Amino acid sequence: VIALVAVLAAAIVAVGAALPVARVPLAVALWTQGVGVGLAGLAGGVAFIAGRTVGAGFRAGVHPGFGIDPLTGFFVCVVAVAALPILVYASGYVPGLPSARAVAGLGGGFLLALIGVVCARDALSFLACWELMTILPAACVLVAKPDVIVRRAIVEYLAITHLGGTGVWIVMLILAERGVLAGPGLAAHGTAVVALVAVASLVGFGSKAGLVPLHMWLPRTHPVAPSHLSALMSGVMLKVALYGLIRVCFWWLDPAPAWLGIALVAVGAASAVGGIVGALLQRELKRLLAYSSIENVGLIAIALGVSIVLGDAGARTWATIAFAAALLHVLNHAVIKAALFLAAGSIERATGEHRLDRLGGLLGRMPWTGGACAVGILALAGMPLLNGFASEWLVLQALVHGAMSSGRTGGLVSGVALAVVAATIGIGLLCFVKFGGLVLLGRPRSEGARRATDVGLPMRAGVVGLAGACVVLGTVPGLVLAPLLRLRSGPTPAGFAAGLWLPGTGGLPTVGLLAVLALVTAALVRARGPRTTPAPVWNCGQADEPALAWTPAGFSSSLLLSVRGVLPTERVLEREHQGSVVTHVRYAQHVPNPFEAQIYRPAQRMALRVAHVARRLQSGSLQAYVGYFVVLLIALLILARVVGP
Amino acid sequence: VTAAELATGAVMLAALAGAPVLSGLIQRQKAYLQGRVGTSMWQPYRDLRRLWRKRAVQPSGTTATYLLAPAVNAAALFAAMLIVPATADAPQFGVGHDALVVVGLLALARGMLALSAWDTTSGFGLMSASRDLTFAVAGEVLLAVVLLTAALPVGSTDLRAMWLGASGSGIWAHPAHWCGLAGMILVVLVETGRQPIDNPDTHLELTMVHEGPLLEYAGRDLAYLQWSLAARHWVVMLLAASLFLPHPSGAAAGLAAVLGWVIALTALLALVETMTAKMRLLRVPHLVGSAGLLALGGVASWILGVTL
Repeated sequence: VIALVAVLAAAIVAVGAALPVARVPLAVALWTQGVGVGLAGLAGGVAFIAGRTVGAGFRAGVHPGFGIDPLTGFFVCVVAVAALPILVYASGYVPGLPSARAVAGLGGGFLLALIGVVCARDALSFLACWELMTILPAACVLVAKPDVIVRRAIVEYLAITHLGGTGVWIVMLILAERGVLAGPGLAAHGTAVVALVAVASLVGFGSKAGLVPLHMWLPRTHPVAPSHLSALMSGVMLKVALYGLIRVCFWWLDPAPAWLGIALVAVGAASAVGGIVGALLQRELKRLLAYSSIENVGLIAIALGVSIVLGDAGARTWATIAFAAALLHVLNHAVIKAALFLAAGSIERATGEHRLDRLGGLLGRMPWTGGACAVGILALAGMPLLNGFASEWLVLQALVHGAMSSGRTGGLVSGVALAVVAATIGIGLLCFVKFGGLVLLGRPRSEGARRATDVGLPMRAGVVGLAGACVVLGTVPGLVLAPLLRLRSGPTPAGFAAGLWLPGTGGLPTVGLLAVLALVTAALVRARGPRTTPAPVWNCGQADEPALAWTPAGFSSSLLLSVRGVLPTERVLEREHQGSVVTHVRYAQHVPNPFEAQIYRPAQRMALRVAHVARRLQSGSLQAYVGYFVVLLIALLILARVVGP
Repeated sequence: VTAAELATGAVMLAALAGAPVLSGLIQRQKAYLQGRVGTSMWQPYRDLRRLWRKRAVQPSGTTATYLLAPAVNAAALFAAMLIVPATADAPQFGVGHDALVVVGLLALARGMLALSAWDTTSGFGLMSASRDLTFAVAGEVLLAVVLLTAALPVGSTDLRAMWLGASGSGIWAHPAHWCGLAGMILVVLVETGRQPIDNPDTHLELTMVHEGPLLEYAGRDLAYLQWSLAARHWVVMLLAASLFLPHPSGAAAGLAAVLGWVIALTALLALVETMTAKMRLLRVPHLVGSAGLLALGGVASWILGVTL
């Protein structure tokens, strides 16, 4: 029955993706896609919770096969939980876009590709869906907004993810060639092959997931995409890339070597800090959110790495919990980030602004969208008891137990990673308080923000639904964690409730905490009494002048000043003189992106130089080209003779 | 229910009402050290009573954030006070006893206050909030690593187990515990907003760190915030006493020792505040970060099995 539902779901999504070609209202097409995704989520959810496997198993041959096992089921669930509200939102959002029909159709294809990647059971289908998952959103973004900036962003996206994506091809082709796609067993083929697959998967899946240093496409692409697509890319596509990494590390390579765990923790820590510092420096709504996705992918990678390290040291219970923590954060971040990207889309549409310092006061002007956005921001900042807190707490706990029981190297790495994650969460608080304050609170800082009113019903419903999911998932994380723990064979702690009672912790009884927080807050607000007559803001007697308003750079400047030894700020101070009188002073400060300066620009220069040399081969004469082929053929024949049987 | 559980629970509930005494005690001892007459140690209650009778304000243009911030602040500290146990026999108030949940609740209180500053867009409030959150970055690293040094010996972040792990004299053979103690003292200074990190008595808005957003509040709202600050004193000082200061493992003697240490810590804070001036703002993250490195060194020494 599950298989039937899954096939039906895929068919409905496909029909929904094809419908925009016909002359039906776009909303019908999007809702059809929504029904399909919902059904797929249902099938995935049953497989995940009941621990069932349906459809084909992994196979080494070239026959295409699709199937759902519990891990796949979980990821299909993640896709559905995020995509359903996104499609509801899109039914109000997409009709306002240029080339709306193409966007809706390509979006449906994208969804199908996402589900295809997690359900693929042979190397070829996997790679086909993987490439579709890369190309379709790029096409969709180009169709929606064909200008120079978008084209450049998309070229960068395709360049990085395709160059990195070779890693995925290497992984899948090696696994298929060795015939070990069906399950764990690559470890028997020697450490060299294991190392090659591990590194290739880190590069291949990591570049698509947004792990540093191959993350630069993310903050370029997400801001230019239509918001429902940014939500799908950031909320879901990054997670599907992580699915690949998880399959390799915890399935084909199982048990993965400890060094891979340490590498994952290191790359994750660099992504977490790099992402959140990048987010802190941004001035645009969606660019900030894109950087924060890098941070969260980093946190997930850290948890996965600690799980490997703990498993290698024989601490099975906490290895399982760390793995489940990573997957719980996958789900939580998908929901939060989808909510915030959708809210950002609504805000852009309502105000016509996308810069943080041109918004403000939207909580009062757009109560539904603004309120949902506030929930998302608090969840992203890891505030108790929203869903972000539950999984960040679990990640921290995983690191604490990594320090306790994974030997010397693993312990030291976990201890340092704990400090890094704590710093990330601290910077995150500063960053998201600033974000929330600038967008939702205070006075409107532009004419567009002043005139903003809330968006239409479908767009509100999508955002509010996702914000509601943040609250629910924050209240009952234990219900999701229990089946997640079953995904990894091994001892799983028993006795779960809505909260998280885990061995070696003091427990996170979410319901009890929520009751205490809610009751005390309600009692105190009641005791405080009703709103009294409004008075002006005191502000120590100062006049309330717009010129004195705080800017995003101002709020984060004390942090940047205190870390300028590590992250130097470039300052430009220009004075214009007229004789000896200074007539004009211009001041600008800017923090150069270290990744761009140290890695991307040199790489770009080198690539251009190589291209320049390679161009000499391109003489344009047919004889020369035929000559190349002959040389290549002879070289291949010699190679075959030398290494062949 | 055992007698130890009852006594511990009674102390923890009494602390909800008694926390403001700590601020009063510090002020009293500071006055003594500075040769002033000073106010009574019950002065915080008089202040609270005065504030309770006054009307709250509602600055124009503010949203529910302004209204909720003081209440959520107090509720977060209320929950934190129920989580941090006074002895290993603390009763379960339905909120668990996890150390990292306390970190989250302290961050919630801080974040809500900073959001209230954005709500009023008061310049001084935002200046303070920006500084407070900047210090909190280093402060959160320090607190997390310090809690790790206390959790390592017992293999758990359950504060009751950690309380037991820190009792007795065996733990002092490990350099990790000494590093943790040094870090914890700085945590107390950061979280309570005491000199040299912050000056709680300042009336100069330009130098405020924690007090800035409070400028916009009056009446019961301000009373909640004042109580929250006192509760923060109790939470971090109790953590310091029960995780890093010597105490016997028995419930009765341990409870007495821990309470004694909390009183002693108020004397220490009064002494530090009398003897030091406030640091330059941008030096604070460096100091706190260095303490974090020291605590991380302690963690490393534990993992590598170094003993004195």
